[in-house]
Amino acid sequence: MFGKQSLQDIMEMMKNNPDIRENIVHWETIKEKEATYVPLPNTLHPSLKQALEKRGITQLYSHQKTAFDYGMQGVSFTAVTPTASGKTLCYNLPVLQTILENENTRALYIFPTKALSYDQKSELNELIEIADISINSYTYDGDTPVAIRQKIRKAGHIVITNPDMLHTGILPHHTKWVSLFENLRFVVIDELHTYRGVFGSHTANVIRRLKRICQFYGSDPVFICTSATIANPKELAEALTGKPMQLIDKNGAPSGRKHFVFYNPPIVNKPLNIRRSATLEVRKLASLFLKNKIQTIVFARSRVRVEVILTYLKELIKDKVIAKGIRAYRGGYLPTERRKIEQGLRNGEIYGVVSTNALELGVDIGQLQVCIMTGYPGTIASAWQQAGRAGRRQGESLVIYVASSTPLDQYIIQHPDYFFKQSPEVARINPDNPIILVDHIKCAAYELPFKQGETFGNLDIEDVLDYLAEQKILVPSGKKYYWMSDAFPAHEISLRSASQENVVIIDQTERGNVKVIGEMDTFSALTLLHEEAIYLHQGVQYQVETLDWEEKKAFVREVEVDYYTDANLAVNLKVLDIDKERKAERSTIYYGDVAVSAIPTIFKKIKFETHENIGSGPIHLPEQILHTTATWVSLDKELKEFPEKRLEEGLLGVCHAIKNIVPMFIMSDPNDVFVVSQVKAEMSEKPTIYLYDRYPGGVGLSDEIYQKLEQIFLEAKHIIKTCPCESGCPSCIGTDYQSETGKKDAIRLLTYFMDGDEERVS
Amino acid sequence: MSLKNKLNIYRSYISNQHDVPGDEKKIEQEREEINIPDREQWEKHDVYPFILDDRYCFIREKRYPLTEKRGNYSFADFYRAIAAWQRADFNHPLSAKGYRAGDLFFFDTETTGLGSGTGNVIFLLGYAYVDGEEIVVKQHFLPEPGGEVPLYYSFLSSVKYQTLVTYNGKAFDWPVLQTRYTLIRENLPKLPAFGHFDLLHAARRLWKHKLESVSLKNVEEKVLGIKRNGDLPGFLAPMIYFDYMESKEIDGILEVMKHNEEDVLSLIILYTHLSFQLLGLDPEQTSREQLSVGHWYSYIKEVDKAVEIYEEGLADYHGADRLQALNELAFLYKKQKKYDLALETWIEVAKHATGKLQVGAFIEAAKIFEHQMKDYQNALQLSLSALDICEVEERQEILKRIHRLERKVERFGSFPG
Repeated sequence: MFGKQSLQDIMEMMKNNPDIRENIVHWETIKEKEATYVPLPNTLHPSLKQALEKRGITQLYSHQKTAFDYGMQGVSFTAVTPTASGKTLCYNLPVLQTILENENTRALYIFPTKALSYDQKSELNELIEIADISINSYTYDGDTPVAIRQKIRKAGHIVITNPDMLHTGILPHHTKWVSLFENLRFVVIDELHTYRGVFGSHTANVIRRLKRICQFYGSDPVFICTSATIANPKELAEALTGKPMQLIDKNGAPSGRKHFVFYNPPIVNKPLNIRRSATLEVRKLASLFLKNKIQTIVFARSRVRVEVILTYLKELIKDKVIAKGIRAYRGGYLPTERRKIEQGLRNGEIYGVVSTNALELGVDIGQLQVCIMTGYPGTIASAWQQAGRAGRRQGESLVIYVASSTPLDQYIIQHPDYFFKQSPEVARINPDNPIILVDHIKCAAYELPFKQGETFGNLDIEDVLDYLAEQKILVPSGKKYYWMSDAFPAHEISLRSASQENVVIIDQTERGNVKVIGEMDTFSALTLLHEEAIYLHQGVQYQVETLDWEEKKAFVREVEVDYYTDANLAVNLKVLDIDKERKAERSTIYYGDVAVSAIPTIFKKIKFETHENIGSGPIHLPEQILHTTATWVSLDKELKEFPEKRLEEGLLGVCHAIKNIVPMFIMSDPNDVFVVSQVKAEMSEKPTIYLYDRYPGGVGLSDEIYQKLEQIFLEAKHIIKTCPCESGCPSCIGTDYQSETGKKDAIRLLTYFMDGDEERVS
Repeated sequence: MSLKNKLNIYRSYISNQHDVPGDEKKIEQEREEINIPDREQWEKHDVYPFILDDRYCFIREKRYPLTEKRGNYSFADFYRAIAAWQRADFNHPLSAKGYRAGDLFFFDTETTGLGSGTGNVIFLLGYAYVDGEEIVVKQHFLPEPGGEVPLYYSFLSSVKYQTLVTYNGKAFDWPVLQTRYTLIRENLPKLPAFGHFDLLHAARRLWKHKLESVSLKNVEEKVLGIKRNGDLPGFLAPMIYFDYMESKEIDGILEVMKHNEEDVLSLIILYTHLSFQLLGLDPEQTSREQLSVGHWYSYIKEVDKAVEIYEEGLADYHGADRLQALNELAFLYKKQKKYDLALETWIEVAKHATGKLQVGAFIEAAKIFEHQMKDYQNALQLSLSALDICEVEERQEILKRIHRLERKVERFGSFPG
């Protein structure tokens, strides 16, 4: 046998072996960083000091100290905390210290998921136990036994919960929580970056309700948020909490030297721009490390991929001991399973973990030496979170990003500068979305009557109150508006799903265990849940067997196929109202409300790796109308020089390219923003391109697009121009219309719309 | 765009399950001085406004003579029940010992919804109590949501909350009241602790075995002999109230008041009947009911009272659960240290019972032989009988006992001493 190779040996080999070297597009070395320490604060309670010392912490990182100071001064703040930077102390220290100073103090910790709250509770309780102080912290969620709920309400110093429980279980019953609300000093919101889009917009309103109730009981808590790296943590935290925030983004934690390698699988079909499968390349790369017992984590986008890669790796690695030490790590894990894997990683029994993005979310499994990403995880922020899994405080680590052939992936891999230099995406919410707002005003009125002239998150809501009074949901009496209905409004409102009327997705894979696995708004269901559609849920593929549109039920069955489905939507778009407009060189950009009527026409089955069209069928569903916010851009004059058919196809190509790169600018899923074009817009009769929010009323995406439209168009042009394909491929303008001129026309059109210089601006 | 225009665009997305068709009558909002709509009409039905600062609620009061009959009792029987409690030498959760008849307030609410969330509004607080030769029914009604301060103020200043008698009030009426009270507490004195008799619990204990449902209505009909004529079904009350909010027609509310009055009056009769059951004053009481009562006393550790009632009830009871009751009686004897009686009873049970009950009776009898009589031979015999019929999982335990007894027999011989 050969001797074991070290990480350095393998990196050297990667640089020299032509088979690997030629696929490496970029090799970025990120220098190690020394820690910035400060002494423990003098004011720190002796018990806490002792507890920290027992855990080997004799000094703080600089950012932890800043957090402590802000917390103790009663200043709300947001801390940007990369993986393994000791973020929990940023809030636990000021909170515990304040409770020790005044034992009436209460704190509310909000985590986006139950799994995370259990994790945090055990960490917090460990600290409390070592410090030997009598502070009660409890999780309060749907699983909390009824028997101890009363105790938590009365005596819990720190109550750990999630936004959904706050929304349905705590706020509507605030009179049972008097001691919490009267003494609420801190609200901690962890994983701030997850509060975006629909979920963030809802949660912002839940927090408006929380603050309203606090005011009723005479408290005014300090908000502490922690976030992964995003472009606008302070702005997002302020929008979410309605509080001015101090930002802590200078991190004092150390990090070792890190190598970030961009790896693009070789092209196997030049004209169609088809590359080798990323999964196969990942298998090859991962085994290099695993064979040498170098601890490696592999990320894949779906559960199916995780299974496939795991099987590959286990087959490939002959050494039985190592093969046994490779584990999958999927969504829906239990804390005990996680503990086992953590432990295995620590004591060296586990060498490799293959995981879905589930692991990305704040859960701490310790650090590994190598991280391999199968495909781009969608945003710069998530990519850095995943990359953070590799990298110890000392020593070198390696991250390999293996691109898939999707347009976004190909864009990123070909523009490493974009990834390393650009600030990460902006996370947007729209707490004033009228539909979401009205929902939460109902909940708020149920909780406490509204006084005339009362604002809700600084918003004048008299119109809403009058509207609800007209609807007989509220009754004005004296100078107040009272809830007057037998309904419990919070039960009808889900923080996580889109609109009111949803299609319920029912999994009938197992006879006798038919279960609901999700919901989808009707507008999206047109293209995603039609019969024969392949629906992806947590990475599992399902095929829709029947869609009962009347009853709003989609019956699905688990399948494993190598294609996805893509439906065409015939769209008619009408502008209802213009809120903002501005001039560009040869066009005008607008932002406002639109009505979109859409009718699905046909769907296509498209093969994963090659994007071949392998079948199609009609869809018979009624027209749906969506009211939402949009940004659109209209040319100032007609384009007489373009034949109409070429203009139409050119615009479609432009739309395809734009749709794919929008997620690079705003944290969103590719399906959250629709892009459509009109050769002759209704009012201006000029070529127009619209980008609109999928969610009724909009969740802030089109507003952000309005501000960045030029950038988006220029990037789109750049993508098409630099795409190695001959006359259009799925990575640039799509393959709906195959014509010789498509690619050229799209570039020309983009130039007309945004008359910037021909070069890309970065 | 203004929020109002937005609302128009997004109207169809906003779910309104509470849409009420019909013309839109606006409720007057501004009131320079207290103008009480339909005051005369209300007063025709014994309903008078109660005004506090610039808000008001309505109070209705009705009086009935004690001689009035309701089902199998008259209200005068309530006095007999109270008097009988004073003579009792044992405790019971429903005991009125130390209270006067006028101390008890029979209380029920009507609310806009179920559950104890903050938005569930109480719009009618009703109660009945005795005042000398009369029964008084008083009801406080919330004519519009802004009147909660006068509503609770007038209510709390006319009842004794130490002695409310309700039907499921522990779990429903009182928590809802506390919740609404918290919302307006800055305007009112602090809500004191309260005492409570909840009759639902009692009804469950006594009649669960024979009634499908122990709803108050069912208990009235099947147990108390009360028939209501044309009574409004309780679940309609919220709808009538919402309708009143809009139309201000008082007829529906009068019906709700009538319904609530029937409820609180029945509570007096129910309390009377329960007291008669518990005190053995009901000549019609069945043996089965006696056993339930005995079981209750045994549960609250009133051993002597429980024994007395069990003995009486078992004298001529031949129901299927007779042996179960005998078994319980034997335990009570044991507690009273009447070991002979306990032994005799268990042997009786062991003779006739089957299964676990029989095994248990053998073992209990054996224990008495062993520990009280020091008769190890008999204890051993009974334990062996238990071993013959026991289940696998009980075997280990019984074998242990047998081995111990065998050793004792060897050491001390087969005769006591």
